[in-house]
Amino acid sequence: MTVNDLALFGPVIAAILLAAAILVVDFIAPGRFVPAIVVTFMGLTLVGAITAITGQAAANEPGGSLTAFNGAYVVDALTTYLDLLFVAIVALTMAFAPDYLAERKLPVAEFAAVLVFAMSGAMLIAGSADLLVLFLGLELMVLPGYMLAGYHKTDGYSTEGAIKYFLLGSFSSAIFLFGLAFVWGLTGTTSIAGVWQILEGGIPLSPGLGLGLAFLMTGVAFKIAAVPFHYWTPDAYQGSPTPVTGYLSVGPKVGAFALIIRLFGDALGPLAADWNVIIMILAALTMTLGNLVALTQDNVKRMLAYSSIAHTGYMLVGFAAYGAGQILGLEGLLFYGAAYAFMNLGAFAVIAAIQRRLGVTSNLSTFSGLIRREPALALMMTLFLLSLTGIPPTAGFFGKFYVILAAVNAGSTNGWLTVLAVVTMINAAIAAFYYLRVVVYMWMRDPQTEEPALPHGRLVWTGLAVATVFTIALGLIPGGLLTIVQSAAEAVTQLPAS
Amino acid sequence: MSQLSQQLAGLPLVTIVVFLPLLGSILLAFLPSSRPQLIRYVALGIALVTWAVSLVMLAGYDNAAGGYQFTQSIDRIPMFGITYTVGVDGLSLALVVLTTTLTWISILASFGPIQTRVKEYMVSFLVLEIGMIGVFVALDLFLFYIFWELVLVPMYLIIGIWGGKNRIYATIKFVLYTLVGSLLMLVAILAVAYTYQAGHGGSWENAFDLQALTQYAGTGAFGGTFGLLAFGAFFLAFAIKVPMFPFHTWLPDAHVEAPTAGSVILAGVLLKLGGYGFIRFALPLFPEAAHSWAPIIIVLSLIGIIYGAIVALVQPDLKKLVAYSSVSHMGFVTLGIFVFQEQGMQGAVLQMINHGLITGALFLLVGVIYERTHDRTIAKLGGLGSPMPVYAAAFGFFVFASVGLPGLSGFVGEFLTLIGTFQVDYLAATVATFVMIFAAGYLLWMFQRLAFGEVSDFLKGLGHHLTDMKPIEALTLVPLGALVVVFGLYPGILLDLIQGPVEQTLNAVNQAAPVALGLWR
Repeated sequence: MTVNDLALFGPVIAAILLAAAILVVDFIAPGRFVPAIVVTFMGLTLVGAITAITGQAAANEPGGSLTAFNGAYVVDALTTYLDLLFVAIVALTMAFAPDYLAERKLPVAEFAAVLVFAMSGAMLIAGSADLLVLFLGLELMVLPGYMLAGYHKTDGYSTEGAIKYFLLGSFSSAIFLFGLAFVWGLTGTTSIAGVWQILEGGIPLSPGLGLGLAFLMTGVAFKIAAVPFHYWTPDAYQGSPTPVTGYLSVGPKVGAFALIIRLFGDALGPLAADWNVIIMILAALTMTLGNLVALTQDNVKRMLAYSSIAHTGYMLVGFAAYGAGQILGLEGLLFYGAAYAFMNLGAFAVIAAIQRRLGVTSNLSTFSGLIRREPALALMMTLFLLSLTGIPPTAGFFGKFYVILAAVNAGSTNGWLTVLAVVTMINAAIAAFYYLRVVVYMWMRDPQTEEPALPHGRLVWTGLAVATVFTIALGLIPGGLLTIVQSAAEAVTQLPAS
Repeated sequence: MSQLSQQLAGLPLVTIVVFLPLLGSILLAFLPSSRPQLIRYVALGIALVTWAVSLVMLAGYDNAAGGYQFTQSIDRIPMFGITYTVGVDGLSLALVVLTTTLTWISILASFGPIQTRVKEYMVSFLVLEIGMIGVFVALDLFLFYIFWELVLVPMYLIIGIWGGKNRIYATIKFVLYTLVGSLLMLVAILAVAYTYQAGHGGSWENAFDLQALTQYAGTGAFGGTFGLLAFGAFFLAFAIKVPMFPFHTWLPDAHVEAPTAGSVILAGVLLKLGGYGFIRFALPLFPEAAHSWAPIIIVLSLIGIIYGAIVALVQPDLKKLVAYSSVSHMGFVTLGIFVFQEQGMQGAVLQMINHGLITGALFLLVGVIYERTHDRTIAKLGGLGSPMPVYAAAFGFFVFASVGLPGLSGFVGEFLTLIGTFQVDYLAATVATFVMIFAAGYLLWMFQRLAFGEVSDFLKGLGHHLTDMKPIEALTLVPLGALVVVFGLYPGILLDLIQGPVEQTLNAVNQAAPVALGLWR
């Protein structure tokens, strides 16, 4: 271990130190909101800055990447992009959580600390160049998630959701680890680049490797909540406190996709022809089932939980296109991740803001006449929902456009991807129904309560403004992010054999 | 004329027309909702200014030179060759002016009926105008798609908030139908762009540019099975918008539930997006596939013409009758387009514009009576002629225009379409001609029940509330009536304008694959 290693590892170290610092602050000023929040945001800014610096250092290298700890950790354009995205996700979550927590007398410091711990795990995944680091990062990312899901200790639903999430989560982690063991056993290395080399050398798909692939796929499918491994999602999402739900639907999902990219793209790329079939089937199943079930939900939180399953499917389409040899697919997936993060967090932020008053449910009827009660919130919610639907010119539209473009391109070599593109579009139309239903309630029905709306803090408005600006900007002027996403996608070893 | 063209050529007039309503809607957003009258006048003012600019554009268009003029092109996402390219030729120009005209008329017609949430209404209407004009001027497929979808949201709100009893069902149906079509079209657009890119050494430059793509299509690049499927996707999107049988079922619901001005725009402009899409995008891009699909489309058009007329015949509801008559009339548009014959397509374009004027006016008239009676059942409204003579006369005028009385504009479009069809296919033309008798039947019968005879008990019960047309209502109808007469007597103004674009599209289609036309030959 050298100083250089530590410097490259800086973002993760800074994140862990930040989590510790938040706990110390809470120890000095117990239960106080302002100090914890101030430290969190200052720390997140610092983590972001360090990420940018290390990223720049790596970008200046000839190969565009730097490794640390004997090749176990890598900093390249992909790491930097994902790290910054994680920081943004955590910052946005922290922007709209405090109001909600304060009203329910839940402490904010632990919340922030746990969230930042999870972020450090996600960052570890993004930069992992070794299968063991990958697993370590995965566990570090999901364990805080279980805690967050059960954060509302006195609420039965929250606890129920957390237990379900925990049991299925640890179960899938075990399966995943089992799969890793197979890969290690058959290749003799845990280094991601090493695995690629050995596989590329032409190992036939032995039963052992096939089994390992199946286990890995199952574990990952659990983590991204792909159908048919999605059963924990609705309960965990509905039971969790709303800001947690927002985070859970975005943070661990993007983290798990980082894992997919590193594992299937970087390590198992030579086997693309084998795993891509499964990815395509998962994609089609996931979005179709997610959307169909979302149609029947009357609870907006639960509906968004199923919709997030559907969005997993759309992102998988991008990855399937990548698996068929289209780098555009990976770019599309990365773009979609950012677009999804902003629009989905924005939507959950609105729900959290409405639910600030105790006892307000997330039923559809809560949204009745919102345009008259809280016009600004209703307008933003409409924007986020339109973006989730994929109506131009929003981030969600461009994300879908990108993914579909990749799938159509890949369709020239593998016709099934064109079919997948069509299935995706039909799904987008189905999804329009339930997103627009919320708009109907907000705009076209009378309010059900005369209670004046509670005021929202400046932090919430700032967070919402940021989400709004990004949701519009990524749709109107996506050019800036496109260059970043392209260089990030190029950082992955190379195109899998199609 | 040419001097004016030169002076105007430097101005980005198209962009101004597209984005004036945007400026207006932002301005409106800052006005206090507590002053609806101010908001109404400001919205009307913006619509009138936009209209004026579009007229300047019309005057400045050099018809002798033809082609796309006032073009403007800015790179938007160079990575994929996506640009902001706009421009107008005679066809788009005619439809842009139709749009701007109907928009200010609709806003004026909303002064009385719309009393709640006036600000949101006016903002929605202006945003709608951006989308509609944008579709007609976009020369980049990506841009076109964005405007195409942009139309959806404000119309969704207009029907859903200010509509009738069943408005939510109607508006969701409208959105879902349209969305299914347009999303599949997006896949096709991307596939076309990809094919272009693959054929140009992997360079995305111009991959979404309509002119470049059209040229490339001329080499037969989008033929074969690919063309058939891609054309199918475009066809679905446009056929739902037109709407063609059997994709028309959203239309009666949307029309009946929409507020009057919403119906006017829906019939007047939104349905034309489909016809325009066929002529501007589907045919030039997939000429081979268009030939293969044409027989099916002609049959569907004929079914639409007959079906719309028969169903209209038995409608008890005035607005629904006009809505179904739209299905029938728009059948002529698709028929005229897909016989691939010059007069036929010119007739189709004329029919699009005339249908916009006439049906728009009919919906306005239905709105006038609904304002007074809050009922649209034809049987209840018998004998309107004596309490409301001016109204009945105006209604009569537009009914005759819709029937296709020679001298009024409705006649020209249908006549040309039929001439064109006769040259290609006797049987189809004969069927379509006989249906015109139906049209006369349901419209005149409706008018007879409405205007003549004993004043019904229902109307008597209303007593003095049953006032004749107000000046503001007349003001919305006079320009439409004037245009109906002008285009009826001298269709040459329009024909000169659209001849170039129509020939261009037909050349593209007929050069590509001169397959034998017709159904039963």
